[in-house]
Amino acid sequence: MARIPSAMTRLADVDQPPASNPRPRFAWARFGNSPWPWLLPLAVVLVFVFLYPVIEIIRLSFTSATLINENTPYTTGSYATIWHSPDFISMLHVTLLFVIFSVVFQMALGFVIAQIVTIGQQRGLRGTVATRSAVLTAWAIPGVIIGIIWSLLYQESSSGILNYLIRPFTHHAIPFLSQPQVALISLTVANIWRGTAFSMILIYAGLQTLSAEVTEAAKVDGANAWQRLVRVTIPQLAPMLLLNLVLILIDTFNTFDMVLALTGGGPGRSTEVIALTIYDQIFQQLNLGIGAAYAVVLLTINLVMTVVYIRLVERSGQGRA
Amino acid sequence: MSQIWRQRLTDCAIYLAYAVIIIFFLFPVFWVFSLSLRTVPELYASPPIWFPLHPQFQNYTFVLHQTPIGGYLIHSLIIVTATIAVVLGIGIPAAYALSRFRFRLSRSVLTAILVCQMISPVVIVIPLYHFLSILNLLNNYAALILVYSALALPFSTWFLKGFLDAVPHELDESAQIDGCNRFQTLRRVVLPLAMPGITSAAILVAVLSWSQFVVPFILVDDSSIYPVTVGLVNLQSNSDGITLQYLAAGSMIAIIPVMIVFIFLQRFIVSGLTNGAVKG
Repeated sequence: MARIPSAMTRLADVDQPPASNPRPRFAWARFGNSPWPWLLPLAVVLVFVFLYPVIEIIRLSFTSATLINENTPYTTGSYATIWHSPDFISMLHVTLLFVIFSVVFQMALGFVIAQIVTIGQQRGLRGTVATRSAVLTAWAIPGVIIGIIWSLLYQESSSGILNYLIRPFTHHAIPFLSQPQVALISLTVANIWRGTAFSMILIYAGLQTLSAEVTEAAKVDGANAWQRLVRVTIPQLAPMLLLNLVLILIDTFNTFDMVLALTGGGPGRSTEVIALTIYDQIFQQLNLGIGAAYAVVLLTINLVMTVVYIRLVERSGQGRA
Repeated sequence: MSQIWRQRLTDCAIYLAYAVIIIFFLFPVFWVFSLSLRTVPELYASPPIWFPLHPQFQNYTFVLHQTPIGGYLIHSLIIVTATIAVVLGIGIPAAYALSRFRFRLSRSVLTAILVCQMISPVVIVIPLYHFLSILNLLNNYAALILVYSALALPFSTWFLKGFLDAVPHELDESAQIDGCNRFQTLRRVVLPLAMPGITSAAILVAVLSWSQFVVPFILVDDSSIYPVTVGLVNLQSNSDGITLQYLAAGSMIAIIPVMIVFIFLQRFIVSGLTNGAVKG
């Protein structure tokens, strides 16, 4: 911001004749006066890396191509296959449980932590920044490494730390990653650990923008802390909580890296979320057509969520999208 | 008097909550750090020990010298640095156009960029694999960096636009009256003022690209350009528990650069996350 004064002094130079620029480069100047040249590089990259692949994946989903043989006639067979496959139902089941529980707990925990940190900050307590940083650490660690870290915590041998800590309460070792239902819970817990930071920081930012006066007024009117939270804070935050919800829904549906490193989708297919199914169909089973059909399912989820997001942004009246 | 006690009680409750939160979020990292400094018997001690009595720092030297992790770190560094350059090189002009030009399609362009942000990388990387393998561009730094950049560009463009919007338009106008064309205006007037935002964008791109996994996992099968994320997963699946302390040390090594960036530049990240996320 130190540059502001020097830029401001230019305002004083306005009186000088504009001819002070001796070499007007007309071609360049005119070229730069349309927005499109400025947007062209971005457009090229987005067309190549997003638009083309999306069209191609939709095309592939209507074939029965494999990675080895691609020249197959067009058919809706892939969709019929996955629709009738028991794997599709189980994948959907696993994905939905994973997404719903991740999202609910990430938002709830994020909200509680944001609230605690905000109160601590208002009271000027020490350790507020340290607490916020500890939560954000989880956000900065690459997803695959989070998977590896949690696989070490979940070790089922007698040297596994979580089993050691939990033993006094359960009296037997918990098969964190080897028993299907438990593995899905373990995976979801690790994902909650990973994703809470994002919700926390968004809600924290939202809480900073709330006017203290409204809360004060409620306090004067005799509302207790719980009433102030439910009747004053949450309604004020509602639009941003909804945006937060949609963003983490999209993100959780797309999760791939952490699951691959933590469970690899196993045991069996008990933790195989949709992104893993796509990978498995295409690169393990070489069913390009079927994998593409799964990918189109995920793409549809992405697009529906995006439409909801855009509607929400428009409704909140900030005209940002 | 009871009022004071209530205040103190609340403070205590908050400190207690701070402790619980910090333990919950830092314990996993602490545990991996502890594992990374052990000898093999300590690794399998039952009951587990909290921290090794004689930390084996040579585990780190071993990982850096005897495994390819050191090389993977350098690959990641190359990819991330180049990605930041490409993202800023493409994103800043686009953000400038979206911030300073009034044209009919600008809202549609912004929406299209937002839609790209929401598409799963898993979906787009499959056709890209196919396409790049035909062009013989798998295992190619340039192609990889292009895809990394593309994945970071939608949010970066939105994010940078937000910061350019905050630079007063009057400054542009006065610069133009002074005889600057748009390139000069951008370079001499707008960019210097938007520097904090550009720094935030660069840091966020760095953290997200360092974490990137799906793209290199599918587009790279040659270990001579593996980034550290893919390299570690391979180490994990090959080592089968025999070298857990090395896996832990490798994980720590991969986290440390992010942590350093994080500790020193946290204010940029926090402002970046809140700004960028709220806007899309």
